Amino acid sequence: MPRAANDPSFFVQIVIYGLANGAIYALIALGYTMVYGIVELINFAHGDVFTLGGFLALPLIAAFGLREDQSTGLGVYLVLLVVALIVMLLTGSLNVLIERVAYRPLRNAPRLAPLITAVGMSFILEGLMYMWQGANNVHFPDLLPSGRISLGGSASIGAKDFIVIALAVVLVVVLTTFINNSKLGKAMRATAQDRDAAQLMGVNINRTIAATFFIGAVLAGAGGMIFGLYFNTVRFDLGFQSGLFAFTAAVFGGIGNIQGAALGGLFIGMVKAFSDAYFTSQLTDVWIFSILILVLVFRPTGLLGMRVPEK
Amino acid sequence: MKLPKLLAGLALAGMVLAACGTSNSTGNTNKGTINIGVDLPESGAEASNGIPTLNGVKYAVQTAGSVEGYTIKVKNLDDAVNGVHDPQKGAQNMQAFVADTSVLGVVGPFNSNVARAEIPISNRAKLAQISPANTNQCLTKNIYIPTTLGAPKDITCKDAGILAPADLRPTGVNNYFRVATTDDLQGPAMADYAYDTLKVTKLGVASDNEVYGKGIADTFSAEFKNKGGTIVKRQDFNTKSTNDFRGFLQSAKGAGATAIYFGGTDSNKGCIVRAQAKGIFAADSPYMGGDGLQTGQCLKDAADNAAGIYAAVAAPNAEQIPASKSIIDGFKKAFPNKDDFGAYSMPAYDCAKILIEAIRKAIKANNGNMPTRDAVRQQVANTKDFTGTLGKTTFDENGDTSLKIISIYQAKGSPVDWSWVTQIDFAKK
Repeated sequence: MPRAANDPSFFVQIVIYGLANGAIYALIALGYTMVYGIVELINFAHGDVFTLGGFLALPLIAAFGLREDQSTGLGVYLVLLVVALIVMLLTGSLNVLIERVAYRPLRNAPRLAPLITAVGMSFILEGLMYMWQGANNVHFPDLLPSGRISLGGSASIGAKDFIVIALAVVLVVVLTTFINNSKLGKAMRATAQDRDAAQLMGVNINRTIAATFFIGAVLAGAGGMIFGLYFNTVRFDLGFQSGLFAFTAAVFGGIGNIQGAALGGLFIGMVKAFSDAYFTSQLTDVWIFSILILVLVFRPTGLLGMRVPEK
Repeated sequence: MKLPKLLAGLALAGMVLAACGTSNSTGNTNKGTINIGVDLPESGAEASNGIPTLNGVKYAVQTAGSVEGYTIKVKNLDDAVNGVHDPQKGAQNMQAFVADTSVLGVVGPFNSNVARAEIPISNRAKLAQISPANTNQCLTKNIYIPTTLGAPKDITCKDAGILAPADLRPTGVNNYFRVATTDDLQGPAMADYAYDTLKVTKLGVASDNEVYGKGIADTFSAEFKNKGGTIVKRQDFNTKSTNDFRGFLQSAKGAGATAIYFGGTDSNKGCIVRAQAKGIFAADSPYMGGDGLQTGQCLKDAADNAAGIYAAVAAPNAEQIPASKSIIDGFKKAFPNKDDFGAYSMPAYDCAKILIEAIRKAIKANNGNMPTRDAVRQQVANTKDFTGTLGKTTFDENGDTSLKIISIYQAKGSPVDWSWVTQIDFAKK
């Protein structure tokens, strides 16, 4: 064991890396969990909508004239915020379109039909992104501040880490409040609980489900752009593995459960960071899935419990 | 009397036309077409490797003209699927070459794991295969890490869980050759350079956990320890599911590493790791790897942290050999874009020239008739002191080249680009 293993500040550093990575998984996991909670569909295309968020931000950033190493000051963040809003609007609308074209006609079809459609949608999106951006890693401009605050010893938290973690926390809090308090949120919960009863009570099911897909993709789009700003690279097939782990996070926390997805994301980010830093990375995925299996054996509904339609 | 004259005139015109058709200047009548199969990754992330290499073959065939009255053509197939080299696609391509009787030899593949899938197929057909770029030692030798790297006894390919050369050759006759030398030299060459020239004594080693990447990381580590250096941290990543390498970098740094060695390719995030080292390692700290990192894409991925990357390439740099200058100049005239020329363009040129020379000898030995594949294979195996752009190539009984030269490149300058620094000749060691 290298001596870094006994260094408490190294431990702190790995916690920070784990939190930042977990925050990104959490943002993707939220979309999976919301969609599953309401229509019981594993939306495989969700991970690719996440990737698309990163790719869509690239030409927008260029169009607004932001340049790596040249653009500084508060204006940059204002522009990034505008870009993020446009990206979120675009990915959200795209997901609504996907739902309308590919999933809604199959809503009452046997379970396998929409599942395979979702897999197909994922391949279509990946193929289109491959044609658009090529197979290489695409560089994403480094626009976030590079400053770091020392936490004692060799540990430090970068402005980037802080921004990513803070954004994820804010989005989760806003989303939870929205679902618990707003009219649309209430309609979503009602639809999730019992679609037919909700319809009888005057809830517009199609609109509610579309809204769920929209919000999920808004978070994924934001997540993709944050990923790009954080790691400064995006690739067309990024969404496949990231999506898989995010979906695992959603199941781990209890599918359909917003806080559960966030917790699951953080958990996976943490396990990955610790396994890579302290143990052998060949076993990283083994750890994650062993723990997942153990949790599901003893708590089949996930850590915080499932929230899915009642039968 | 008029009619025969007309006929003679027609016949003459026909001969001229036929001669034009073969596009040669020797005036021989065309006896048919011989194809040289080329299997390389030509699309996606690895097109930057495959296309310049393909150009080398094309240029060799262009300049060769016709051979003993036969037209030589290039039949190239792409082994990339979704932009990444794919062993199964390579095997399919090899089957297509075997099925096409006009293919008398193959140049390729680029990647060692593709070669592993292809050799059993080409071997059954006794089809000669010459690779410009394969470096995995287990394709030709049954020693994974030799005792010369400090191991108490030779570690065989079988010990390392890799198929031995004999397992790849069902007929027992060798048909696979290469002009690049092997990873058991490519890894150690960089270890020597790191320890002797860069004065690194402690470093972290990572790999992409593939045959090639893990192989050079293992041989690098063995030689580096042998020299007296310390590997403070070793990690083999599933680079498809790993986005964040900073935990590894941080722990290597914390344990006293001053440099990183990465065994792998740029498409497996080899240079993203370098980009993430920013802020953890000093900006000018060495970051080393094999030929999988020596690409333009790597410099893009490493972004503003690209300077200071060192990469070993398992072939001599033809540009450093004065006698090769005229051929390279000719190549650059025929393929004028900057991206047309790559580290393996000239090795591929030599592969094609060796193959064409073998075909020529085989045709002569067969009284000017189309030779068998086995005859061509035999002629390739007999290659001795062939003067190409890389130097004098002789194939040993395993199919390996006598040129055991590793070139070291460094990313430097503004804008950052690859420049040749030195070469290490293992034949002289």
